[in-house]
Amino acid sequence: MLRRLLPEFRSNDDRRFFLLHSPTTLIVLLILLSIITVLMLYSVPVLRKEGLGVFIKNIWRPSDYDPEAEVYGLAAAIYGSVYTGLIAVIVAAPLALASAIVVEELIPRRAKGLVSTLMDLMAATPTIIYGIWGMAYLAPLMHRVLLLLHHHLSWLPFFSEPPTTGYTIGTAGILLGIMATPYAAAVIREAYSMIPTHLREAAYAIGATRFEVVRILVSLIKPSILAGLALAFARAIGETVAVSLVIGNSFNISPSITVPGYTVSSLIASQFANAGLYMYMESALFAGGLVLFIVGLVVNALTIWYMKRWEEAIKRV
Amino acid sequence: MVEYAVEVNDLHVWLGERHILQGVTFRCPERTVTAIMGPSGTGKSTVLRAINRLLDLNPEAKVRGRVKIFGVDVYSVEPYVVRRHVGMVFQEPNPFPHISIYDNVALGPKLHGIVRSKKELDELVKWALEKAMLWDEVKNRLYDLPTKLSGGQKQRLSLARALALKPRILLLDEPTANIDPVNAMKIEEAIKSIVREEGITVILVTHMPAQAVRISDFLVFMYKGKVVEQGPTRDVALHPRSELTERFMRGEL
Repeated sequence: MLRRLLPEFRSNDDRRFFLLHSPTTLIVLLILLSIITVLMLYSVPVLRKEGLGVFIKNIWRPSDYDPEAEVYGLAAAIYGSVYTGLIAVIVAAPLALASAIVVEELIPRRAKGLVSTLMDLMAATPTIIYGIWGMAYLAPLMHRVLLLLHHHLSWLPFFSEPPTTGYTIGTAGILLGIMATPYAAAVIREAYSMIPTHLREAAYAIGATRFEVVRILVSLIKPSILAGLALAFARAIGETVAVSLVIGNSFNISPSITVPGYTVSSLIASQFANAGLYMYMESALFAGGLVLFIVGLVVNALTIWYMKRWEEAIKRV
Repeated sequence: MVEYAVEVNDLHVWLGERHILQGVTFRCPERTVTAIMGPSGTGKSTVLRAINRLLDLNPEAKVRGRVKIFGVDVYSVEPYVVRRHVGMVFQEPNPFPHISIYDNVALGPKLHGIVRSKKELDELVKWALEKAMLWDEVKNRLYDLPTKLSGGQKQRLSLARALALKPRILLLDEPTANIDPVNAMKIEEAIKSIVREEGITVILVTHMPAQAVRISDFLVFMYKGKVVEQGPTRDVALHPRSELTERFMRGEL
């Protein structure tokens, strides 16, 4: 049985090579398995106590004296994660698409390398840098902007509440959007540059102007754009440090982007240090981690499935 | 006076350091098929790309000389205006894989606003597909993606897409090189019919002497970036004056 799973070796060197290197793959798999196991096991106490309510209630009540009086609900954090993730995607979509098109179509070939390196550098910047930039610059700026928006557009649910500070869901979403842009842009750029010459020429040959050609080619890589944005979303909901610095850390469920909020990651980051003092808090935070893990997995799986389907369709031409 | 649809005069093209076309001159009378023939790497395709200014897309390309279409210098107008009136079909079938068969044909007319209603567009799409001899095979699946078509059908779809713009000139760059003989015959039939019935002027690049003889009225034989011989197809094919032409016709080049 085991023999069938193993490759055939033509020499002892091959066998040694295999034996030496295969454990590394196994280690990666084991780590993943242990992550899932730990998340699930540590979530059990709070799930036993609260049931699935832990995912839909919006409450965070630790108790110093009576563990049974502790109540935890992750709804606000899950809502905040998804909401800021969506804002991030809305911000990143035009930025990433435009920057990818500028790099691929408009700037001279020599400048292309420089600009794409700069974009990659943006991706490599430590997230804490974005966080302190967000605190020092973006949050005060956003406070003024959100005040203005609330003043003029308070009839829209997105700006219905007066912003008391710049530390809001909106600020976090925009910061996440900026942070995710280079990732989405890299995916889109890659797809755009891989469009075969014969399709590009086909677009020009029907008398399309450069702008029209770009429009046709962008519609051709729509699935990759979607994949780029899914990646941006996954990055955004997973981001921790920068978000905790600008989101205001408060349990709100409001459509208004002018109020402070929480995300699952920022909740874990800000509460974990004290969580050990309580009976169930740690477990509740692990349950939050489990949600993040599952959402990330589902988004990635859907994206990969969609891209595969598209690639197969394209390959047939 | 004979009206020339295309006049190419002392055309030189450089791609980087390479001198690809070295003073090419020929004329195509309206409503005729001119075949540009010659071995691979002779610069036949480059001639077509200089005519519809696709060479502009190559930053390394440098063009000198004159190309006129119905008396208008193509280098004096915007390239997309030239391409709007000069259709092109490439060696590689290249329908857009992400839009339906119908939309592939309708894309050009929609882009240029040459139809006023959906009904007109439907008629134009049908006309173009009929002219490309593809209508009967796709009329029941117009809204499918072209990915399911065979290579030859894809090539005829590319032809229909070019025809939908009602071009006055059609450039065909070895359109049958990569497809099976049955489809190749259909494309040749389609070419003959669009010249006869629609009065479109065709320039066909081919490396197959037999094909040139079957469908062209005029023949331009090129070798290493230069025109070696040109004239009415029968004259050039049956009584070549140059030894190079003769050897090519015998399949020795």
